[in-house]
Amino acid sequence: MNNNPMQEIIDKVMNWARINSPWAIHFNSGSCNGCDIEILATLTPRYDVERFGIKLQGSPRHADVLIATGPVTLQAKERLVRIYEQMPSPKFVIAVGSCALSGGVFDGCYNVVGDLSKVIPVNVFIPGCPPRPEAIIYGVVQLLESLKTGKAPELVEIDLPEKVFEMAEEE
Amino acid sequence: MKSSTGEKFIVPIGPQHPALKEPGHFEFTVDGEIVTGASIRLGFVHRGIEKACESRNYTQNLYMLERVCGICSHVHATAFVIGVEKLAGIQAPPRAEAIRLLTSELERIHSHLLWLGVAAHEGGFDTLFMYTWRDREVVMDLLESLSGSRVHYSVNLIGGVKFDVDEKLADSIRKGMDFLEERTHYYMKIVTTDDTFVGRTRGVGRMTKEHAERLGAVGPTARASGVERDIRYNAPYSGYDQYPITLITDHAGDLEARFVVRIKELYDCYRLIRDVLEKMPAGDLTVRAKRKIPEGEVVSRVEAPRGELFYYIKSNGTENPDRVKVRTPSLCNWATVSDLAVGHKLADMPMLLVGIDPCFSCNDRLVQVNQTKTNSRLWSWDDLRRYGIEYYR
Amino acid sequence: MSKTEELLTNGHELIKDFVLTSKYPEPNRLDVWIEASNLKAAVSNIIENHWGYLITITGMDQSPKIDDAGNQISEGKIEGLYPFANQDAILTLRTTVDYENPKFDSICEIIPSATIYEREFIELFGVEIVSTPDTSHLVLPDVWPENTYPLRKSFTGLNADQIVWKGE
Repeated sequence: MNNNPMQEIIDKVMNWARINSPWAIHFNSGSCNGCDIEILATLTPRYDVERFGIKLQGSPRHADVLIATGPVTLQAKERLVRIYEQMPSPKFVIAVGSCALSGGVFDGCYNVVGDLSKVIPVNVFIPGCPPRPEAIIYGVVQLLESLKTGKAPELVEIDLPEKVFEMAEEE
Repeated sequence: MKSSTGEKFIVPIGPQHPALKEPGHFEFTVDGEIVTGASIRLGFVHRGIEKACESRNYTQNLYMLERVCGICSHVHATAFVIGVEKLAGIQAPPRAEAIRLLTSELERIHSHLLWLGVAAHEGGFDTLFMYTWRDREVVMDLLESLSGSRVHYSVNLIGGVKFDVDEKLADSIRKGMDFLEERTHYYMKIVTTDDTFVGRTRGVGRMTKEHAERLGAVGPTARASGVERDIRYNAPYSGYDQYPITLITDHAGDLEARFVVRIKELYDCYRLIRDVLEKMPAGDLTVRAKRKIPEGEVVSRVEAPRGELFYYIKSNGTENPDRVKVRTPSLCNWATVSDLAVGHKLADMPMLLVGIDPCFSCNDRLVQVNQTKTNSRLWSWDDLRRYGIEYYR
Repeated sequence: MSKTEELLTNGHELIKDFVLTSKYPEPNRLDVWIEASNLKAAVSNIIENHWGYLITITGMDQSPKIDDAGNQISEGKIEGLYPFANQDAILTLRTTVDYENPKFDSICEIIPSATIYEREFIELFGVEIVSTPDTSHLVLPDVWPENTYPLRKSFTGLNADQIVWKGE
């Protein structure tokens, strides 16, 4: 750790600034737009994520957080990696939507890599097709909380019900 | 579309919708201020869906094809389902058709409001963007009450629909329509009288009727030039013959006309939805469909919010289709932009692109501007957008 | 005769010189098979007489039929479908070519905006479209390997080592 007390104070201020006002950049690596629209909807008056201090802006060089959607098509893969590399450390990645988790419905398609974490390290996954704006905000807040406490975001366990569904009878 | 002189501007634009940053490449060839050429390259959202359809069964394809596009997901599913039902020789019951129509029109409302917000954002009018997206939440709530999801409603089944409309939902839909109609008066006023808007749209991108026909334009882009093309009118499907639409066209053919046509379509959607709710027939929601679809080839055309959506499905008697071809409307309309762009100022490009309501995930687009000299300047979409706003200030 | 039937009859009149076979798969659709060499002439007749607009160009891979004993009972062909729409009526020109020589004529001189559809046809099926103005990739990525045509039936997947990454 730092012995210099000044450095510690600067670190604390920077961390506080990062948590309280993270600058996010959004990147779509081939999604259908559903997740992107829900992300954009979080900026609109109903959900208004800017009151949490999150600012969505354009250049990767000023961003703390990368919000990525889409099942990573081959064409988008290089650009995604390049954007990730252009971001200054410390940087965090939020993968939004089922496609970014595993490819979603497009798993197995010829132009699709699928899981975002195969391409860049991911800190938070937000499942859903698409996830509701509330879920997206929850995921982002999870990330911010984890920055505050210094621990990794908590995994939320859900118990599956006994019987998920009954197979319909063959006709 | 190649020019002989001029500076090359490579505008790497990303995303699907210009407002969202994302993968995409626009290249404009510019000579001073004037654009002299444009071309297109897609590829960032190409997922290989047509091929994947061949290894999934019809029900799985229904869910996958819905996710071609998040904005117009219901029309993709409807087009597919109508085609498969024709192949299977079954007909969805009248109540199911009415509910499909209702969802299509609700989707049209949400899509046009979304587009209006994005267009406003491109024009530097962020307040309007916030207003329209806030009002859009009303429609999202209605769609959620109907189907349980805000996006990707999955209302369709092969043979009918999954969800029903009861009196309570019908009442909230009517209330929603009343509210939105009030708000639409305000939007119409802004689009036709506000100086900022009118300055950037009146007289820009004028396309005559013959030109639109020759270029193969579809949807509101074509209707704004007087071309009477609307699948719901020319070739009614899924209940549109019982609840006919009003064909809305405009003769100006410029950007403003495209705005006006879409807002007038909103009014027609409200009227149509109220009509359907009043006259919805009682009855079953589905008919039984077999797993294996008999051999055949079918064509299915529906009117997406952006224009004509074309599906060609070939079946071979098994559970999986043999070939599914999807042709989305924005691809046709792209040709109009690349043609019209020539002769316009670079500052007009963002609005011109927005005028056709491009849906990249439907098509994945790129625009390239040709150029001959070696000078090239790299701009981001945001730069281009801001350039346009500053230019007109 | 209904309006649609009338439209289809008129359409058929315009290209009747080139028709090999024709079929009405649905009441509002007429499919017409023509020789690949007559494609441009047929398209020209339709467009010049303002019959309708080109919807898209659909490619199809009719892979060779193999019976249970493993014998080939029909050859493989690539088919190009050119549907034209006039209100409700759809007139589709269909033409097949062999795998060894998959050549079509470009119709971009008549319909300039067809270049988009032709580009997609070329890259996904591996056909050659003579004198088409632009043969660059429309939807396939830059890193796609040569001579690999995803929509052909013979394509079953892409190995990671086939992808031509640039300077990684």
